Amino acid sequence: MSESEVLRAILSPAFLASVLRVTTPILLPALGGLVSELAGVINIALEGIMLTAAFVGVVISAYTQSAWAGLAAAMAASAILALGLAFLHLELKADLILTGLAFNLLASGGTVFVLYSLTGDKGTSAKLASRVMPTVDVPLLEAVPILGPVLNHHNVMVYVAFLMVGVVALLLYHTPWGIHVRAVGAHSEAAASVGLNVRALRYQALLLSSLLAGLGGAYMSMGYLQLFQRDMTAGRGFIALAAVFMGGRHPLGTMLAALLFGAADALASQLGNLRIPPQWVQMIPYVATVMALAVYAIVQQAAARRYLRASSLRESGL
Amino acid sequence: MLTGEAMEASRIQRLRRYQAWLEVARPLTTVIAALGVGFLVTLLVSPRPLQAYIALLTGPVSTPARLGTWIEDATGLIWLGLAFAIVFQARQFSLLAEGQLHLGALVAGIVALRMPLPGVLHLIVALGSAAWVGSLYGLIPGVLKAYLGVSELVASLMLNVIAQRFYELLLTYWLKPPGAGYNWTDPFPSTATLGALIPGTRINMGLPLALAGTVLAWLLLYRSTLGYELRVVGANPEFAHYAGIPLRRTILIAMVVSGIPAGLAGAYLAAGIHQRLILNISLGLGFEGIVVALLARNNPALVPFAALLYSYLRIGGDIMERTAAVGSDLVRLIQATIILFLTAEALFEIFRRRVFRRGDLHVGK
Repeated sequence: MSESEVLRAILSPAFLASVLRVTTPILLPALGGLVSELAGVINIALEGIMLTAAFVGVVISAYTQSAWAGLAAAMAASAILALGLAFLHLELKADLILTGLAFNLLASGGTVFVLYSLTGDKGTSAKLASRVMPTVDVPLLEAVPILGPVLNHHNVMVYVAFLMVGVVALLLYHTPWGIHVRAVGAHSEAAASVGLNVRALRYQALLLSSLLAGLGGAYMSMGYLQLFQRDMTAGRGFIALAAVFMGGRHPLGTMLAALLFGAADALASQLGNLRIPPQWVQMIPYVATVMALAVYAIVQQAAARRYLRASSLRESGL
Repeated sequence: MLTGEAMEASRIQRLRRYQAWLEVARPLTTVIAALGVGFLVTLLVSPRPLQAYIALLTGPVSTPARLGTWIEDATGLIWLGLAFAIVFQARQFSLLAEGQLHLGALVAGIVALRMPLPGVLHLIVALGSAAWVGSLYGLIPGVLKAYLGVSELVASLMLNVIAQRFYELLLTYWLKPPGAGYNWTDPFPSTATLGALIPGTRINMGLPLALAGTVLAWLLLYRSTLGYELRVVGANPEFAHYAGIPLRRTILIAMVVSGIPAGLAGAYLAAGIHQRLILNISLGLGFEGIVVALLARNNPALVPFAALLYSYLRIGGDIMERTAAVGSDLVRLIQATIILFLTAEALFEIFRRRVFRRGDLHVGK
């Protein structure tokens, strides 16, 4: 494939549609990561929760022959993990990061272990006749040029993911619950002193966070792909965390960061056709995140210094 | 008759003994409890759970070759356990070891394959550059954390992926023989490999080096000013600040120094185990060091024992899978259980308080 052909492929509606598809399993856990991060409880277990949800969804959908039952079971599994994580951290005072890492190991080992026990296969769930969540077709949208092929005919979870951006933004910034959660995250002692139940709010934030990650996991195995593969989330839970920070800990920013990660991922698979090594493109989002973190911190520090200087000037009566 | 002072002294001594005893008892009871949880899971899935568990628990010492595999695996884990012990002592959650391992292996490979040097110098330069690149990479999250307040956890996770992709990039496009359909390099020249110690196994010079590294890490943490500062910063940053310990510099140094054993872990895998560069050289080994450091309570002197203990489970799991058809992933469940038991502080506090109360009563009588 020549350069111009690749360029044309990248600018095509099919490519843009694939960006949305690839972004979805990053965006959902990223929104989850955002909710818990703003509550002051970083959720390292996103990766493991996604993986567990992907696995449980496939298994239950295969046994019930209903994708929706699979999704419900995936949500239930995510909720159980969330409560376990919250209990260990909030009641037993376990370190949240190490507990999260342990949950990831638990998910990675546990899914393969059960898969092997159920099917005798350690790689994929190909032997299980699992179901897929439906794709959505809007006949009217199809008629719209360019936008139609980009936005139409996606798995229902793709729409859910982008809908969730609005839902999460609304929850966090326009409901009392969201204001309380953010207060707890900003300064837990101050929040407690005005009567907020820090522990309960953090339980709720971790629960919501994990349910969002679980949606992303269910999409991975019942939409994005049609089966479960071992370790199929492949670090998306961590990319999601990066998207939270790169997006300035805001829903809209998080969505844009997730789209950037998605675009780089989709681009990397296109560039496989050129002689550019795909690793270069795969590195871009990560390098960008590290740089964004640094720049964001520098800007914050400069702002803090300006504020201090201004207030000291005020105090000296100038 | 004992004076009040002597009684007080003996009381303190007694409490100290309990504490020391608990330091050892806690990891051991944790591992035993985790093995118990693993056995319950095995009961559910295997028709012959006892056979599976005997394979897990006796497998690594059943043949000389398996014994060799165990020691080889533990050696790599010693390096990684030391890397995590150093950053964890300073309470920095940098998980960069996985990335540093890749860069260490990469640089050792470049020196081995592309820099012909005479005799033992070849190996020394290969190992030295691996340690150097590991610590240099630690500088990035170190500066970001110490001077800009960027989360070292998030930064290190990003940098891990960058290092891994970079490793793959140079391996596939530069280091492997041109046009080769496989993803590994030619074997390293013998001047750049860690010589075998015990014939018939891959146990090599890396083992004594790792033990020397253990001693050095212990001396650094417990017998040097820098190590003292590092531990104070980890235990109580505010106190460290008022005691005049340079907080930023200490955090930075912890992350840089921790890169040395992590880089050497990569060199050990490349020059000691595989004696070439292969595509998936780590398979997540970098993260396994976390469990080793936790089991050793971040004390370098205990890291070799923790590495042996943990590696025993890893190798035993593989053998169990081959001989009893119970998935080796069971070991990952056991590993996760170990972390959970070790980190659930409150769980242990209840136990400790009970023992100490008993100790007090004993003395007061």
